[in-house]
Formats: sequence, C-alpha cells, structure tokens
Amino acid sequence: MPILTIDNQQIEVLKGTNVLEAAKGLGIVIPHFCYHEALGAVGACRLCAMNFVEGPVKGIQMACMIEAKDEMVITTTDQASQEMRARVIEWLMMYHPHDCPVCDEGGECQLQDMTIAGGHDIRRYGGKKRTYSNQDLGPFICHEMNRCIQCYRCVRTYQDYCGGTDFGVLGTNQRVYFGRFRDGRLESPFSGNIVDACPTGVFTDRTFRYRTRYWDIEEAPSVCPHCSLGCAVIPGGRFRELQRVRGGVNKQTNGFFICDRARFGGGYGNHPERPRVPRVDGAQTTWPEALRALRKRITDLVARHGPGAVAFLGSPRASLEANYLLDSWAASLGSRRIAFDSHWQHDRSARVAAGKLGPRAASLEDIRCSDFILMIGVDPLNEAPMLALAVRQAVRRGVRLAVIDPRPVTLPCAAAHLPLAPEALPDVLEALAGGDIRRLGRREAVLLEGILEQLRAAERPVLIGGPDLLGAAGIERLLDTARLLASEHRPCKVMTVLAGPNSFGCGVLARQGPDFEAILNGMLAGEIKALVCLESDPMTGSSDPARTGMALGKLELLAALDYLPTAAAHHAHLFLPTTAVPESAGVYVNNEGRMLLFSSAMDPGTPISVSGGGDHPPRTFLPATPGSEPRPAWATLGHLQGRRLSLRDIRQAIEMEHPNFAGLSSLTTGGEGKRIADISPPPETAPEIPFPHSEGEGTLRLYAMEDFAGSGELAGYASALAPLRPTPFVMLGALDAKQRSLSDGQQVRLRSELGGVGVALRVVPDLPAGIALVPRLRGTALESYVPGRGHYDCQILSEDEEKT
Amino acid sequence: MAEGIDVYKRRYGQNPKSLWRDLKGTVEPFYVTLRNMFKKPVTYQYPEEKRTPYPRYRARIVLTRDPEGGERCVACYLCSAACPVDCISMQSSEDENGRRYAAWFRINFSRCIYCGLCAEACPTLAIQMTPFYEFSGRDPLKMVYEKEDLLIADGGKDNEYNFYKHAGIGVANPRGGNEDEYGPVDVRSNLP
Repeated sequence: MPILTIDNQQIEVLKGTNVLEAAKGLGIVIPHFCYHEALGAVGACRLCAMNFVEGPVKGIQMACMIEAKDEMVITTTDQASQEMRARVIEWLMMYHPHDCPVCDEGGECQLQDMTIAGGHDIRRYGGKKRTYSNQDLGPFICHEMNRCIQCYRCVRTYQDYCGGTDFGVLGTNQRVYFGRFRDGRLESPFSGNIVDACPTGVFTDRTFRYRTRYWDIEEAPSVCPHCSLGCAVIPGGRFRELQRVRGGVNKQTNGFFICDRARFGGGYGNHPERPRVPRVDGAQTTWPEALRALRKRITDLVARHGPGAVAFLGSPRASLEANYLLDSWAASLGSRRIAFDSHWQHDRSARVAAGKLGPRAASLEDIRCSDFILMIGVDPLNEAPMLALAVRQAVRRGVRLAVIDPRPVTLPCAAAHLPLAPEALPDVLEALAGGDIRRLGRREAVLLEGILEQLRAAERPVLIGGPDLLGAAGIERLLDTARLLASEHRPCKVMTVLAGPNSFGCGVLARQGPDFEAILNGMLAGEIKALVCLESDPMTGSSDPARTGMALGKLELLAALDYLPTAAAHHAHLFLPTTAVPESAGVYVNNEGRMLLFSSAMDPGTPISVSGGGDHPPRTFLPATPGSEPRPAWATLGHLQGRRLSLRDIRQAIEMEHPNFAGLSSLTTGGEGKRIADISPPPETAPEIPFPHSEGEGTLRLYAMEDFAGSGELAGYASALAPLRPTPFVMLGALDAKQRSLSDGQQVRLRSELGGVGVALRVVPDLPAGIALVPRLRGTALESYVPGRGHYDCQILSEDEEKT
Repeated sequence: MAEGIDVYKRRYGQNPKSLWRDLKGTVEPFYVTLRNMFKKPVTYQYPEEKRTPYPRYRARIVLTRDPEGGERCVACYLCSAACPVDCISMQSSEDENGRRYAAWFRINFSRCIYCGLCAEACPTLAIQMTPFYEFSGRDPLKMVYEKEDLLIADGGKDNEYNFYKHAGIGVANPRGGNEDEYGPVDVRSNLP
C-alpha cells in the first residue's frame, strides 16, 4: 500500500487510489467536477491541479488522473497550483449565464461552491456569452444547456453507468452539446440520476421545478420503500409536502444512484385523498375517542368469542418496530392469528429467505463484484430496478449474464436469455442442482449445460431469483442449488428479490405463524370477527382480491392503520392515520437481511399548497398544524397496549426477543446498515405454486407480472409516475399470435375467470408457447391480475371474434 | 484592600488636575443647559410635524417592477434566506413563458426589523426599502403583507434594470437574443 505526502501530511492508501481521493482522506478537498467515485476519473474539467514536487511524476498534474505511488510529495497550497485552479475556474465560468436566481441548482450547486473555492470572485470577461437551444426531455428532467461546463458527468452516468442509449454528447469545438438526437422523454428508467450527477443546473428535476431552495428543504437519510432492495434515498419536504427525493449513498446497496421510481414516486404521502383524521364508523373523531373505541371493541370481541376471533395483518411496508408491536399486541391478547403479508406466496417466500439465506445472501455490491450471474424467474427492471443496474456494472466488466425467464426481461445490458415457461423453472433448478438435464428440451439442455459449466468455473457466482414465478418452493430450491454449487473456497451467493421493503423482517417475525390464506379461511368460516390491518390493504394486496373482499365483508370489525387511501382504509370501521415513510423513523430489513435505518425528514400535515389552494397560506391563526393528526404506527400501537415506548425501547425489546436483530439499537442513519444474524430456525417446507392443467381449446396460461411504475402499491398513489404507466396490454408469443391471426398493436379481448377486458396486443417473438402475460396496472382493468399466484386460464380473441 | 487604594490613587490621587477637573465637571453642564435654552429646539413635534427621511432610510419594504411593468421578483428565496428574523416567505412558480415568479410572497412586518439584508441580497432589485416609516398597528395579522400589498407600480430606486435581459434563459428576449449574448449555436455544424 503506497504511502505519500500531501501538504506535509503522510497518508497510506489502498493500491489503485488516485491522488485526489488520497487528499480527500486527509481532509484536503480540492475543487473538481468530472471526478465521481462511481464514475471514475476522466480528467476533463482540468480543475483538480496539484503540484507534484517529488516522486514518479513531476510538475502540475490533474490529481484525479494520477495513481497514488510511494514517495510522492505533493502540495496543493503552492502558488502555481492555486493559480492554475483559479484560471481554470475562470475559464469554466466565462460563458456561464447570469441566471443563478432562477436556477433550481442554486444553493446546492457544485459550480457555485467550486468557483468560490477556486478563488474566482469577480468576472473579468465582459464580452458576449455563448448560448444553446434546449430540448424537451420529458416530464422528469429540465434541460438548460447554457449552464453546461462540459464535465461529461451526465453522459458517463446515463450511458456508461445506467446503460441508456438515447442521450449523449453531440457537436464539436465550442458547440459541445449534451442531449438527445431529438426532443423527447429520456427513456432510461434511471434517467433521474443525471440530475444528481450534474454539478450545475443543466439537468434539474422537473417535478421539483421552482419549488424550494436547498437551504429551505427538510431532508433526512431514509430508505426507499418501493421495492425490497433498501436503496438509500434522501427525501426532502417543505411546507408539509414531500417535494423531491434524491439518491443517498450506501455502498452495500444502491451505491450512489437510484431508479426513477424511487426518485419521482415519492408523492404517495401527498395524495389528495390521504386520510389524515381518525374515523370511527365513517365519522371523523379525535384520537382519544378512536383509541378508546378500538380498545373497547376488541376487548368486547375477545370476551364474547375468545382471543382467536381477532386477527392481525402486518405489512412489508411498515417498519420493523410497528410490525413487532403488532405482533406483541396479538400475543398480549392471546391471539395467534397474525400474518405479515396479505399475499401468502410472497409471505412464504420471505420466510424461506429469512430462514435459509444465511451467509449466502448477496448484497448489490456482491453482484457488482461477481463474475457470473444467473437470473432465474426474476425481472429486475420491474421488480427491483436497481438490481438491473448492479447487474449492468458486473456485465460492464465483461461478466457473463444468463437469464432464464418466460418474460421478455429487458435489461440495460447484454444477456443470454432462455425463455422457459414458468412450469419448467422447477425442472431447471433441479437440473442445476445436479438433476437430469434431459428432462428439458434439447436446445434448453445445451444452453443449460453451458450455464452450468460457467457457473462451476466462476469464482464469485451469484444466483438471483424472484418470488413471483418461483414461489416459496422455488426460492427454497434455488437456495439448495446454491448450497450444492458452493464449496469451501468458492462461495455461491444468492439474491432473492422479495415483495416489499421490510419483507425480510416480516419473514423473521412470522416464524411458524399462519399465513393470510389461513386467516382468510378463518374469516370466511366466521371464526374471525375482527381484523386489524397495519399499513396493508388485503383488498388489493392478497393474491385473491375477490375472495378477500367477500371475507372482509363478513367481519364485525375491520380496523386499519394507514397513510394511503386504500380500499381497506376506506371500508374500515375504525381508521387510525399513520405517518408516511418520509415522515417517520424506523427500520427496514432489505431482501439481503440488512437492517437499514430511516429517519423522519418532515412532520405530517396538509400541504400549504392544498390549504392555501395554490395561493398564500390562509390568513388565520390556528393552535395546531392542519392535518397533523397522523402519528407513527409504532406510537399508536404502543399506546393501544397501554405502553409508553420510545423507538429505542422498542428496538431493545426486539433485540431481546429476537436475537437475530442484535445490534439493532446501535444502528445509525445514513450508514451501510447491518446484516442480521442468521439464527432463525429454517421454516417448514414451503408450498409450491399450483400449476393445474389448463382446460379447453385455445386456452392460454396467463401470468401477471410487475410493472415498473404501475404495479407497486406506493407507486400507484404517486401521481408523478403517471407518464411511465403503460396503457393496458397483453403479451403473446409470435406463434400463438399467428395461430389466432392476431398482429402486434391490435386491440384484443382478454377473457378469463376475472371477466373480459379490451387491451392492446404486444407480440413478443420468444415468449414460450401457450403463455400470455399481462402487467398488473393499478387503477386499470388489469388491477385484479395479481403476480405470484400461479396462472389464470384465459382466451385472447380479436374484437370481431368477440362479437360473433 | 491595598489594591483598592492603588486603584483610587491611580484614578484621582496622583493627578494634580483632579480638583480643577471636578470643579469644571460640576459647572459645565449648567453652562451647556443655559446655552441651549436660547437656541431653537431640534425636536420635531411628531406626529403633528413630520420629518422627511433620506432616500436610503430603511423602512417599509416594497416589491418593484421592471421597466416593462413585469414583476421583478423571481422568487429566488435569497431574501428569505438572508432575513435574520425569518419574516419573509414565498412560493416560486413558473408561468407559461418560462418566467419564474412568486405564486405568493408574504412579509410579516410585525416581525421585520428593517435591517435591509433582504434588499441587499436581492439579485434582481425587486425587493427595496422605502422611507415610509409610519407603520404600526394593533392587529398583528394586519401587519402580514401579501404580494399584492407589497407590489408597487414602478421600479423604485432603479427604473432601468431588467434581470431577464441579462439572464440568458429566453424570457424577455428569445434565447440568445439579449445584448450580451451570441445566438444559439448550431450543434450539427462541423465547421471549425
């Protein structure tokens, strides 16, 4: 490890570190633009000049381009290098427009900071300035090219890191331009990252356009609740409204970047119909009244029918603390009827992951550093977008990627795709674990043999699976496969994508408890009279919405604690408002088993933009903030049990009761989190997804799949994501489409047990025969098709056929 | 004790002029009073008699307009950031021409200390201090001024400056059409 001297201070750094990073380690921050830890150095901005006095290189050099070596002696404070930096920043500022007051970056602009740091304070250039025309880059990104300083960070982020192809650098000479070939929405699902990457105001967040200055926004390190990966995000609010989300840094999960769903999907807490006041039997009431009513009704029911008459439903989007308190409340009442996910297959998968993943759990960083990746039954871009980006980083290094999935898995990188029907996936896993490979077709067997060969040769292979197609049994089989493929010297890691941000934590809490299917049967049989839903909506969350709706109708008491205007919250006899994720603190356990702390960025309340109707805030004095009734779910649940608990108390209690969560109370926000200890007993053998044989001529097996912006519960309530939601469509293989003489883009009629619906047809060349796919799109006719519950029998007819 | 004596000596003891000084100090105030009794008083009999302050006097704040009559304020939040008592709040917005403006702008004058830091921070000369000092009331809410109460019809102390004619974002003139700008570059050109 090289030891070098910078400004008379010695530092030892890892081999391969550049001098700029080494200086940063000493607390010497030299102005720079083009260097970014995730993007690397290109030496384009010429700003990080240092004077190399002794060592292998001499003279004024760009520190980011020089690797730290032994015996280097460097100064940053000498006149020559300071003068150089001051000149460079003056050149960069020469054409920079005089528009900081109307620029959204103002206040958090690296160019502003670096201009001052570089010593340039008075403009000497008095001539005319260069200008550019801007492009319309869609609903998320604003373009203002005049401000550009040509550091190339946007291109390196968009093309190199995120794999976007529709944006780049154009022009020559003084006309270098960063944009698209023609106007239009940036197509990459990671496009928002150029807002974070741009050191000045060329790319700004359009959803945050002219809303707030950096110094006014209330921010706190948090965790994204949109999928199970637990990416670090920094939500920011002002005037009681969540206004933007930007990427946080967690090198074990997302690294530096986040997906557009996380960035632009934060508006669920601002939903205009968000219920903010406690309700009893449809009438708004006060907190003490509502709490008393809930306690009384539950006590009455327990007295009349026994503790088994009250069931509880936790949620993978509620914090670990709230889920734990729900569990302890159920235990204190003597009820053992508690499930933590209304989708039983997701619940079972989470339990398998929580019980059996163990040290084989791969983090996103492990995936970025892996040398062979096999994805089976997982569609990262729609289920866990940052996983696709992590996989891309591995592929950029030349790593091979194989995908076995019936869906047309789109990825921002090259992959070998083997489209197999979902029913064949268990056989594939069997074959990988050393079973008979010839049970599959010949072409599949050849490909699979190649995959196996590479899997055995790789030093750090990673298997990735998802619960929607594999199910709990498949995930279990995937973990067994990894165990068989691993040896003492060569780990074979696994990543299982789960349903929600806290699915893993719920899986640990659930242990051997019942799943929602058992509770549903209890409700239908009339044994369960009351259901308490914590931040969950069984109406849309369960795998059989129709049956759930029927069961909920039979209840004497449906109590809901939530911050979304869900169906369950709407129909609840007793409703208690809770705080949304950016307004609350807690812990999520991501799909890898990493405990991640999120803290509260703002207090709940009706946004001023709503209470003022777009104009100035009301001219009245009020003793309390309007709409500030929501309370953190953990506080309410503690109160209901008559306990006054702080978050710290709850975390200590969790540690005492579940030793897996050791270290929970010493976690800090903004860190990398801590993986839980793997001491859960393995769960009972997971049930398989049923694959009954389809009946009838021309019947297709219809599978529902996740959609990037349309399927998630939270994403469904985020209005900013609307432009990303597709119009309903069904996907069909080329052969099946030809048999039915249907063509791409045609309007067809989709008929299944859930009724008929008109959708557009997309013909996918390599979709396996006999399979059709629909995305689950909330708020459309495709809402009731739930991914991860096996298939629906369906028929696809052209509109004319339907009439006859 | 000894220290106390030292201090006394230092102050009075070793000074031969001290007696003379004490006598002068006793008589002089009477002289000054006597002298001023026959001069014209400097006191203004406010409120019957009003005084005109200098133009740079810092009192009631206004929002001015550019020479074309448009609102100068671009709601950049610099005044509210500079304000030491947090009496300015606003929400910026964008109109159909891309012009940034304040959707609402509020100054709570019951909190304002008239320090003038807001006017100093303003990059567009929008917020300015006026000498209008007769400014009080019994109802605090009446001291909360909204944008329509703050806006005046002209440019205040400067009737020339228009921020958008220098900002280069194509609001006052088309992009690249301001005096201190070249026209937009042709990105597709290959000429040197």
